[in-house]
Amino acid sequence: MSAALLVFGYTLAVAWSVPVLLSRLTRHGISAGLGLAAWLTAMASVLASAGAAVALLAGAAIAGWPRLAEAVCRSVVGRACTPVMYRSAVFEVPLAAAAAAATLTAVVLAWRYGRAMREAGRRTRAHAEAARITGRRLPVRADSEGGMGGGAAVVLDAPQRAAYCVPGRPAAIVLTSGALAVLDRAQLGAVLAHERAHLTGRHHLLITLSRGLAASFPGVPVFTRGPAEVARLAELCADDAAARRSGRPALVAALLAMGTGTAVPVPALAVTSGVVTARVHRLLDPPRRARHARYGLALAAVMLLLASAPGLVIAFAGPLAAALG
Amino acid sequence: MRGFGDLESVIMHMVWDHGNPVTVRELFDELRHERPIAYTTVMSTMDNLHRKGWLAREKDGKAYRYTATASREEYSARLMREALDGGGDTEAVLSHFVAQMGGAESEVLRTVVGRLTRRRPR
Repeated sequence: MSAALLVFGYTLAVAWSVPVLLSRLTRHGISAGLGLAAWLTAMASVLASAGAAVALLAGAAIAGWPRLAEAVCRSVVGRACTPVMYRSAVFEVPLAAAAAAATLTAVVLAWRYGRAMREAGRRTRAHAEAARITGRRLPVRADSEGGMGGGAAVVLDAPQRAAYCVPGRPAAIVLTSGALAVLDRAQLGAVLAHERAHLTGRHHLLITLSRGLAASFPGVPVFTRGPAEVARLAELCADDAAARRSGRPALVAALLAMGTGTAVPVPALAVTSGVVTARVHRLLDPPRRARHARYGLALAAVMLLLASAPGLVIAFAGPLAAALG
Repeated sequence: MRGFGDLESVIMHMVWDHGNPVTVRELFDELRHERPIAYTTVMSTMDNLHRKGWLAREKDGKAYRYTATASREEYSARLMREALDGGGDTEAVLSHFVAQMGGAESEVLRTVVGRLTRRRPR
């Protein structure tokens, strides 16, 4: 049983401590891609070791059941207890019932989770189709990367400023006429590159997955903080891709124009707080190469540890537990 | 180059632009001037749109007359509502270029922009 407890303890320690570490390492959005990968690795690592702990626990419980049943039986009826009694249905049935209840709960949870995900997927595909039919195709010369592969860009007649992508087959990038009105050609290119990066990076899958884990494991920091962190880092990854394609100035100007509705030429400064302003600030004041390398290295090290630790812990938990007596 | 899904969009826009009920024949006659297309393709696409609830139809002699079930503006407004008011578990998964901002951040950003645009023409 103690090997299972060791693995379980390790799982709890990682689930509670790693989010603090990763939040610090990814706060400034340096090496956003590695940061995103590190968060996903942390979730997978905790899932793997939690699964191993449960398996070890179940195995130990099943192996130790006859002795436990015997002890309980003796404490209740004393010497009158016979093997026939504690091996009988009275003691086998609760075990089977507990196992069945646990399995049923897991199945119901998985089914509800699956149904919510399918419904979200259906709504997403329906939205993509409705946008493709209702919208007008963005002229090809304004959309140099256009085409079905990367998601066609369509324009909806609406006063609100909105630009977003909808995954699906085919995916769609939706712009409103209100958004087009405040963007010049370079800024539009940056917006399209940003959205296309979301689609090609399959960020919606990562966000859906982390939301599902957060819903399934309430109260566990590595999962509850996951969706917001994954979404934030995915946003920064898309910003990096857009900046590489269209240049930082165009992207910053697009962010400000979309955020405030005022068409802005290349700005030079922004020191404020908030998600969009944080993105603007990060683009205006990019980290130096040495700092970038330091953060990248730290994130890679954390990731390597997280990826290899569950295997090591599971492999050594048995001998260690035995050595500890 | 234009896919089959795209034809649905083209046909819906034609129906909206017409305003009054149209037959498959009328749309086919307009479409074949623009692109090589078969009558049956137009017919099956309009049938699909009817099945999916985009078009309503009424028998008029031997043919059907099609109308849009909602205007282009109504569809746009519906999409915007879905895109901007989301938040539940079963919402469509959309990635916005700019997240919905609170009044405070929007105000701060506006101030930054104001400062930048004033400073520029030196």
